[in-house]
Amino acid sequence: MAVSRVVVVRSPRAWTAAGAPDPAGVAAMLGRGFVRLTGRADPAAAVASLFSPADRVGIKVNAIGGKALSTGPEVALTVAAWLLQGGVPGANIVVWDRTSRELRDAGYAVGEGKYGIRVLGTDDPDQGYGPDLVAHLGVGSLFSRILTGECTASISLALLKDHGLAGLTAGMKNYFGAVHNPNKYHDGGCDPHVAEVFDAPPVKSRHRLTVLDALTVQYHKGPSFHARWAAKYGGFVLGLDPVAVDSVGWSIVEGLRAEAGLPSLEAEGRAPRYLATAARMGLGTADPAAIERVEETVT
Amino acid sequence: MRRRAFLRGAAGTGLALGAGLPSLCARLAAAAPAARLSRVEARHYVKLPDREIECRLCPRHCRLGDKERGYCGVRENIGGTYYTLVYGRVCSLNVDPIEKKPFFHFLPGTTALSLATAGCNVNCKFCQNWEISQARPEQIESIDLPPAAAAARAAAAGCPSIAYTYSEPTVFFEYMADTAIAARRRGVRSVVVTGGHIDPEPLAELLELVDAVKVDLKGFTQDFYASFVRGDLEPVLRTIRTVAKSKAWLEIVYLVIPTLNDRMDKVREMARWVRDEAGPGVPLHFSRFQPMYLLRNLPPTPVSTLEEARRTALAEGLKHVYVGNVPGHEAEDTLCPGCGAAVIARTGYRIDAVRLKKGTCERCGTAIPGVWT
Repeated sequence: MAVSRVVVVRSPRAWTAAGAPDPAGVAAMLGRGFVRLTGRADPAAAVASLFSPADRVGIKVNAIGGKALSTGPEVALTVAAWLLQGGVPGANIVVWDRTSRELRDAGYAVGEGKYGIRVLGTDDPDQGYGPDLVAHLGVGSLFSRILTGECTASISLALLKDHGLAGLTAGMKNYFGAVHNPNKYHDGGCDPHVAEVFDAPPVKSRHRLTVLDALTVQYHKGPSFHARWAAKYGGFVLGLDPVAVDSVGWSIVEGLRAEAGLPSLEAEGRAPRYLATAARMGLGTADPAAIERVEETVT
Repeated sequence: MRRRAFLRGAAGTGLALGAGLPSLCARLAAAAPAARLSRVEARHYVKLPDREIECRLCPRHCRLGDKERGYCGVRENIGGTYYTLVYGRVCSLNVDPIEKKPFFHFLPGTTALSLATAGCNVNCKFCQNWEISQARPEQIESIDLPPAAAAARAAAAGCPSIAYTYSEPTVFFEYMADTAIAARRRGVRSVVVTGGHIDPEPLAELLELVDAVKVDLKGFTQDFYASFVRGDLEPVLRTIRTVAKSKAWLEIVYLVIPTLNDRMDKVREMARWVRDEAGPGVPLHFSRFQPMYLLRNLPPTPVSTLEEARRTALAEGLKHVYVGNVPGHEAEDTLCPGCGAAVIARTGYRIDAVRLKKGTCERCGTAIPGVWT
């Protein structure tokens, strides 16, 4: 399996007639994505090749945008379902983000649900941020106890969005939601902060898989939701190389911008420079020529 | 019942996923309880198209989309309107000697009701209060203390002033300004302890409301500010110039950090600048660094370095130069520049003797700049 393989899976069945994410279509896309990513015969085997039953897996979502633009429960819990199929016990799975309020606003039922799968905000009274300051490169942060105390493995289940400051918010920047002071990392186009937060031991030692929720892609004026510039892309982007996945995500955003007649992020002076920084730090591959991009359509 | 157990019982029914997968999607949750944050519209910002705003409070000029917070972490764009989340949300409240701020030429021997909210618009690697300055307001305990209540509490405690301190008061500008107004009505003065990263317009507004400003000049090179403060030097110098020209009393602190900002040629340059731009009578405090936050690898500042910095500044013509964070050091005293007498003798924050008569040296009559009554 190529480390820098990135799977882009899309489906005309991504949406219901009412315009909501179609659970069956989402499940099919993710299942197919896992298969193409790992080369295994079926999704359960694919997931089992990535996570063991002993793993305690955190699914870090991005719930900041309410129902309009968050990694919703129909996606996160489908990822969790595939983990179950792959042998990870439900009690070992936690879907999480910064606050319970944001999770609720995004449509989650916070707490313990079916099969023991938990949905938690870091502000849960039993969680919070760890007491020990993590000082790593330019990072000085407290990290969520959910990540450091509840998880041995992490999935960044991020939205794919334009970002006014960073250019792009995707799998790596999703971990800004794991620190107590993300506002301190938004200067300089979030560079090198995105790479440095990802490189910090609490994240780097646990991160195992990136899944970009590209059902709806905010390709301009992000990270807030603006219907005018939100494309129903109907897909997911999966990979084990966090830099490569985000680089492919960037190309998708640029493609949508071009289709809409918008200037590129580079032309707007907002190219996500942190990707090149991350590549230089050895976190992955940013060069599109060195990324094996697999396109898949689930019918 | 632990909250988790309660929530376990609250989890709902699911949606059918098909493809043989278990059904996991729970019902939508009820609305979240309100967080303990204020929602008072911020001042000094402009609304932009597409629900964006640009903050004009500090030189960062954060441009933010809906649901985003500024670098300070305490101001948020909600639907295209910018709000302060910390109006009246006080996370630290103490009665301190005014010397602790430090103000050495402002009502010596008095106390200041000292308060802070969460947040800061820089990120100094040597911050001694990072637990509150670098936190978001919802992450730390706070009490509700409206401006009038703060003023009343200061008066009741016998404090002639309120100090906005500990974190960075600029980020709670609205609360500070309104509290200063409420305090003035009660005859209580206001003093600000700031890093000086504030835009000219809000600074001008503030200087009409407060009586003294202590600026932390954290270094004298842009490189130092960029690397260790996450800010810029020039806005701080602009603030010092502006305060010096205002009716508010000004003092300056320079925290001397071994190997980072302790070169004497830069100290000399800084002292000359203070002399020329703020005036030779402005008190300058060289404070001792202690290892903390992200600079735990450095030792405390040698006292000899502080003393050398003091000698250097005095040689450049500054009249009142102090050594700080070294309790009992002789350079804590205020000396008369005319005859050398200790017109205010201090030990730490304690005033041992005051030998001033209507702001002049009792011995030789030289005027000592400051606010003495």
